[in-house]
Amino acid sequence: MGKRKSLIKIKPKKYKDGEVVKVSFMVMHPMETGMRKDKETKKLVPAEYVNSVKFTYKGKVITTMNVWESLSTNPVFTTYMKIDGAGELKVTYTESTGEVSEKSIKIKPKG
Amino acid sequence: MQRREFFKKLGAVAAVTAVMPSMSFAEEAKPKGPNEFSYQKALDVITGGKPAKTSSKVQLKVPEIAENGAVVPVTVEVDSPMTESDYVKTIHIFATKNSNSRCVSVHLTPANGKAMFATRIKLGGTQDVATIVEMSDGTFLTAAQSVKVTIGGCG
Repeated sequence: MGKRKSLIKIKPKKYKDGEVVKVSFMVMHPMETGMRKDKETKKLVPAEYVNSVKFTYKGKVITTMNVWESLSTNPVFTTYMKIDGAGELKVTYTESTGEVSEKSIKIKPKG
Repeated sequence: MQRREFFKKLGAVAAVTAVMPSMSFAEEAKPKGPNEFSYQKALDVITGGKPAKTSSKVQLKVPEIAENGAVVPVTVEVDSPMTESDYVKTIHIFATKNSNSRCVSVHLTPANGKAMFATRIKLGGTQDVATIVEMSDGTFLTAAQSVKVTIGGCG
């Protein structure tokens, strides 16, 4: 399987301390429901989906999500967060197979 | 006598049906792999029988007609100050007729600053997309909109 590609985006790109910004987390994931049949082998493709996503900013959990298989392939999770000084934004996600991965970016407010 | 017997049996059947649903809820409450989970069950588990009010505070944005059911953008926005005393606790998104109706449950905190969540979901066919929002004071707000799907996205 290896590691999946993931991305954290912040809008707007330049932000100040105390500003509320949009945060998007994307992950390249097939999100198999376990109900789809393989066209060649005629067998069910086993379920494999993102189970939970956690946003941690400066060591504090700001958002957690319980996810089920009804989300689209390559899911995007968008929400807002309040900038509160420089620090690290870490996104941890768990898959239904039990694999835990994480992605982080540095938050640097200007002005 | 026959009439009496009949009422006895009727009583027994009613008792069994009253007990059965509560038993199945206990099993379904634990999320297991790919599972069936109806919208009504999810609603009962989340609200615990409390009423969920339709409110103009909750804005659910979904396209009315989705050409491709595999990718349907959904945005939920809640009008809330997001302070320590008054904030949105959880946003649940459901596809009411998918075999597992639960899509995502987002637990927010005041650190979010704004109560909004957007994602993309799969829809198996034409159905309602619903959202239940749990506020910090324990009340539930809800909103729903029907989406017409031309090509299903599941299976």
